[in-house]
Amino acid sequence: MDGAVLHMRGGKPTMTEDDALAAKGAPSEKGQARKPLIKLDKLSKHYGNHTVLDGIDLEVMPGEVLAIIGPSGSGKSTLLRCINYLEPPDGGHVTIGDISLNAAAPAGRSELSTLRRSVGMVFQSFNLFPHMTVLRNVSLAQERVLGRSRKNADDRSMQLLSRVGLADKAEQFPGRCSGGQQQRIAIARALALDPDVMLFDEPTSALDPELGLEVLAVMRELAETGMTMIVVTHEMSFAENVSDTVMIMADGKIIEKGPSQDVMRNPQQERTKRFLRAVHDR
Amino acid sequence: MSTADIFAILRGLPWTVALTLGAFLAGAILGIPLVAARQSRILPLRLAAMVFIQIVRGIPPILWLFIIFFGLGMSVFPISPFNAALAGLGLIAAANMAEIYRGALASIHFGQWEASSALNLGRWSTLTDVVAPQAFRVALPSAASYLIGLMKETAVASTIGVSELAFQGNQLSQLTFRGLEVFALVGMFYILLSLPVAWLSRVADGYLQAKVAR
Repeated sequence: MDGAVLHMRGGKPTMTEDDALAAKGAPSEKGQARKPLIKLDKLSKHYGNHTVLDGIDLEVMPGEVLAIIGPSGSGKSTLLRCINYLEPPDGGHVTIGDISLNAAAPAGRSELSTLRRSVGMVFQSFNLFPHMTVLRNVSLAQERVLGRSRKNADDRSMQLLSRVGLADKAEQFPGRCSGGQQQRIAIARALALDPDVMLFDEPTSALDPELGLEVLAVMRELAETGMTMIVVTHEMSFAENVSDTVMIMADGKIIEKGPSQDVMRNPQQERTKRFLRAVHDR
Repeated sequence: MSTADIFAILRGLPWTVALTLGAFLAGAILGIPLVAARQSRILPLRLAAMVFIQIVRGIPPILWLFIIFFGLGMSVFPISPFNAALAGLGLIAAANMAEIYRGALASIHFGQWEASSALNLGRWSTLTDVVAPQAFRVALPSAASYLIGLMKETAVASTIGVSELAFQGNQLSQLTFRGLEVFALVGMFYILLSLPVAWLSRVADGYLQAKVAR
């Protein structure tokens, strides 16, 4: 394990939707051996004596959509939150693009900031800012973090709000929007910072099934544009049909991981079979 | 009760208002660094703020005024009764406002901090753009009721000779021997003063509620 906490080689690769779309449109690229966008090495996390993450190794390729499923308490949300250091892991490495953080050493503010710039996150409970208009919610971080002017930020926000079908809500406050609309706004807010990867922490769990669908539709569209996505979810049809890869977690470990159709229809591990059976029997 | 009597009492009004607003303003401003210290990650700073708040709130206001006016004022530096009262009540207000701010900050859902971190907003932006405006709304009703409480508390300044409402009332009652009427009138002035504060607080709260619509 080397001592350097942060490696940065060159600038941050930024991928706009247009680039991503172009990448997706050229299938030849898909087959080429590429460097993973996200790499976790022996990532671990403990709360006292309790092991939440037990040496997780994971690679996610650019443009890949990974669904993480598994029983409650399996560590899937914690894993997601360790990727952008909302919860600092206590062992192993997190590498995103050219940035690598060693969890054994405390992360400095500028390193965290560099890491988080490439990661967008969507929460189960939306966490929109209730005292700002929808437009301001999407524009704020663009101005504060990317230094965009108010006008440029608002233009970009309107573009993204149109994309999630909520341009007409721009001047409303989040409290006036349905849960599904709030979650779509939260997605627009995260996309506004042009992240390389989007993390979704049970994005539809707080929504009734109908409202969940409109959020899933936005996520499916996002996946089709080539956005790299890691989705912790209980939506089995999303895992099977939208994601490229499914990973099953239990007790802080990866039980099984593979192409989504294979894992969902023909699981190899007994623990996976038991979980999927429980889900399907409901 | 003659008009002259009423005017005699009313002469105390500007002092009561000045003392109330001055102490509240001082408290509202000084409460901010105080709550910042109280919530600091630096343990000695946090402890110092905790001890300070406990001491300030643990001693009766009248005693603080005596300490500042008769204690410090007579031995360390000369201070006018009004300034002594302003300093004492401002100090108490700062400790109380710090606690009001602390409660308001604690009411902000941790998801707001998390979302700010995930969006990479710096600490300053998280505080000034996201947390403080929401905490302000939460603090508003408590701050308004504290302002009314503070207004009544300014009556203790009469004990060190600030000629505010209660002081004027006391003087007049001694001159006229009509304590009941005099003090009833003084009481009415206090109530009249509290009404606009209560009303403003309700209007402001209603406006903010309607805006956010939760």
